[in-house]
Amino acid sequence: MNTIAIHHLVKQYGDQPVVDDISLDVAEGSVCGLLGPNGAGKTTTFKCLLGLVAPTSGTITVEGAPVTPATFERLAYVPERSVLYDWMTVRELMEVARRTYSSYDGARAAELGALFKIDSRKKIKRLSKGQQSAVQLMLAFSMRPHVLVLDEPASGLDPVFQRVVLDLIIDAAAGGATVLFSSHQIGQVERAADRVAILKGGKIALDGDIDTLKGQQKIVEAVFDEAAIAPNGLASDPRVQRLERSGRILRAHVISDAAGIARELEALSPKAVSIYDLSLEDIFLGVVSDAAPTQGDA
Amino acid sequence: MPAVFTVDPRSGIPLYLQLIEQVKRAVALGTLMSGEQLPTVKALALDLTVNPNTVARAYRELERDRVIETSPGRGSFVRTDNGTADVRRAIDDVGAGILGTAVREARALGLERDAVRTLFDRALERWFAGSGPEDS
Repeated sequence: MNTIAIHHLVKQYGDQPVVDDISLDVAEGSVCGLLGPNGAGKTTTFKCLLGLVAPTSGTITVEGAPVTPATFERLAYVPERSVLYDWMTVRELMEVARRTYSSYDGARAAELGALFKIDSRKKIKRLSKGQQSAVQLMLAFSMRPHVLVLDEPASGLDPVFQRVVLDLIIDAAAGGATVLFSSHQIGQVERAADRVAILKGGKIALDGDIDTLKGQQKIVEAVFDEAAIAPNGLASDPRVQRLERSGRILRAHVISDAAGIARELEALSPKAVSIYDLSLEDIFLGVVSDAAPTQGDA
Repeated sequence: MPAVFTVDPRSGIPLYLQLIEQVKRAVALGTLMSGEQLPTVKALALDLTVNPNTVARAYRELERDRVIETSPGRGSFVRTDNGTADVRRAIDDVGAGILGTAVREARALGLERDAVRTLFDRALERWFAGSGPEDS
């Protein structure tokens, strides 16, 4: 079952679509990392998903039903910016959480508070930005949620606490929770997620299982004795995302069947053909930078 | 934990494939013994800080390859009934991968088949010196 199902989501402000026909399904137990440049529509997608903003069109369901206040008994959301009552102490805030959510686990909250080294007697406004983020995470994970939606959950945290956040996501996923989180740090997505969706200009530019994408996306490079030649039709081949030619080198960013492309290049009798693996960062940059010139041309 | 696996999430090689290779290598080297228990999916995911579904996928493939077996409620173990044949195959798999990469890269450098063979023979001489061909 798809725990989170977003179908043809559109959100316009004026005539400007911020989210432009996004469909994204996150299967139960999966961890999906949402990547994209600033302004790609990540936060707006989250706000629509949580019912904080009304979509212009499209449908969203969580665990098979539209989002209602009851959804938040099972879903925890950590926004990008702190939305805590900053005049409260951490302890008071925890008390509010205990009264609000039946699933709140006080022992877990204490454990997480110790993990993040939070002094619960302090007022929220006296905490650093990073500690405020940590308090939000502490609240979210203390509910032992079935669904977690985290908007840049590790921003403002130092590397040690960033690792703690990854551990919390992995631990929740191992317990069967479904997670959708956005991040600017590809390394976090590469570790915690099994699935990635890359947003660009309000659209999903790439979406898939991370290991499958790494298995499919390759650079096939051919070195020729003289100026490189490209086989007819290779540039428009659906298996090829981008073709670059510089001097004696022909380089193809391939999105499937790298071995087949390599064989076709072999037929041109180059000096050598190599296949290189791509990291998620390479894949991300390829997607995000690729469409730019095409759009400019149009 | 007797066998420590290391994976590189930043690599372009799918994580579950890296894990499969690590486990096969450990079985081949004997750092994971026949009948030995592997960490649970959750423990290994937390230990390596990687997604648990990815670890589970590696375990499923290792089961299919008859390297490990999982009994519900008890955990995953290196198979005891596979004896030499399956361990042998695990070793062959790892070896074929390493040599395949080496030959591919040598070829990408522009080396001809005969030049690769000469280098290969030289490497054999160096690392198998004294053990002799076939007769030790």
